[in-house]
Amino acid sequence: MGEKLIVAENLTVYYDNYKAVEDTTFKLDSGETLLLLGPNGAGKTSLLKTIAGLHQSYTGKLLVFEKPPAEVRDLISYVPQSYSLNERVPLKAIEVVAMGALYKKGLIHFNIPKALLKEAEEALEFVGLGDLKNKRFAELSGGQKQRVLLARALVSKPRLLLLDEPLSALDPSARVEVVSVLAKIKREMGLTMIITTHDPNPLTEIGDKIMLINKRLIAFGTPEEVLRDEIITEVYGPLSKAVKVGERMYCFIGDVHLYRR
Amino acid sequence: MIPEYLLRALLGGVMVSVLLGMLSPLITMKGLAFLTHATFHSLLFGAVLGMILGLIFGNLSLIMWVALIITIFVVILIALLENRGFSSDTAIGVTASFIAGSTVLAFGILYKVMANKPYFALSQSIISYLTGELFLITLNDLMFLVLGGALIFFLMLVFYRDFLYVSFDAEGLETYSGNAKLYLTLLYVIVGATGALIVRTVGLITLQVIAVLPGTIATMLSNDLRKILGISLGLTLSVQVLSIVLAYLTDIPPSGIATIMLGVVYGLLLLRR
Repeated sequence: MGEKLIVAENLTVYYDNYKAVEDTTFKLDSGETLLLLGPNGAGKTSLLKTIAGLHQSYTGKLLVFEKPPAEVRDLISYVPQSYSLNERVPLKAIEVVAMGALYKKGLIHFNIPKALLKEAEEALEFVGLGDLKNKRFAELSGGQKQRVLLARALVSKPRLLLLDEPLSALDPSARVEVVSVLAKIKREMGLTMIITTHDPNPLTEIGDKIMLINKRLIAFGTPEEVLRDEIITEVYGPLSKAVKVGERMYCFIGDVHLYRR
Repeated sequence: MIPEYLLRALLGGVMVSVLLGMLSPLITMKGLAFLTHATFHSLLFGAVLGMILGLIFGNLSLIMWVALIITIFVVILIALLENRGFSSDTAIGVTASFIAGSTVLAFGILYKVMANKPYFALSQSIISYLTGELFLITLNDLMFLVLGGALIFFLMLVFYRDFLYVSFDAEGLETYSGNAKLYLTLLYVIVGATGALIVRTVGLITLQVIAVLPGTIATMLSNDLRKILGISLGLTLSVQVLSIVLAYLTDIPPSGIATIMLGVVYGLLLLRR
């Protein structure tokens, strides 16, 4: 494995005085894909935003590329959940993608430079949407929107890609589209990725490590090490179950809300 | 021969149209209708404060400047609160409530000052601020409107793409090394300054409608940015010119006519849906 790209020791993330994630320690190697798993409100997005340098209220040690995250923001791309975007703004797909690199220079961006438009086109080609570059973002399907956001992340030439629930609210075929692009990124670009998810099953093929959290670290390791009945039942209740089919682990997590009630 | 005051009104109307034609779609797309409400409150507070100072110092042109300064101060305060993590509605609601309370207090002080100072000249200013009076704008007012409007128009043009991006995904913009807080603050300053600049022509009472409806109507008719801007500009210009002509013929304040016309267009579009 390569260099330690992320080092977190006794990391506690705060929102005001509230602890979103408590006393978490883990390390991630360069080139690895980490699936960040946990129920609603477990602190997945808070941890992801902290690693992205977008949230800076934390104690403990957190180093990304051996520096505090806020100092290496240029090397990190954060892909938000697509429903958090304001689709009333009628931007074209290519304009959304160009946004990923436009702000590396200058304060005023009246025009998008031609070289950047070309890079944005290439990024759209990479995610399989080259022919939809002039379509408005709001008119794209859920899977296409997610792929545009991936292209936007790639055009900024990151070394660490952080994805917040990239498969949520997508139908099964759209999930396959997005997972295949993520697999392509891993295969052809070798980027380090952290992907938050409720459901790890579509992603276990590309996940080297899984981190299970529920306000604190429950487990961290390979899918075989983490997706075990005695671990997942601690978070998702007695109805959850881990199953190995061929070489892949699957996880049936049941309805956590029903269990909690 | 067109009377000079009508010519000034038409020129003022064109400037208002250009500013609102550009700004109104942004207000709609970013969801800033509530900010225009806060602008209304701060302009009223600034105008009352300006009237107090204007009467005390015998210079009623202070009204315009005090209203402008107070409004810009308030929108920057709202932007700062938002940048510190408060939701837009909370930041605006808290600030506007404080300003509204302060306005009532300021009115109390104004009445006391009016009891001791001659205030006949103030009546025209009060009418201009409340209902807007394009026919009463002086050459100085027009110069202020045109020069200030040109500056705001230039800023809007230069930063329009940045404003679109910050409206689309402020967090994403911040992630990709953009200064979302700066763009948001600048956009709010432009909304506040535009309000202060055009308030004497469109009036406080109708300001919010005239600032919001052209953009709302344009986004109902198209989802292409260029067409949205074209529709908004065309609509604002047509309504402004038509309302001035109708006001000239009927002696009704043009801002009232413009507001009703915009309301009718919006209502018809809703019915068509």
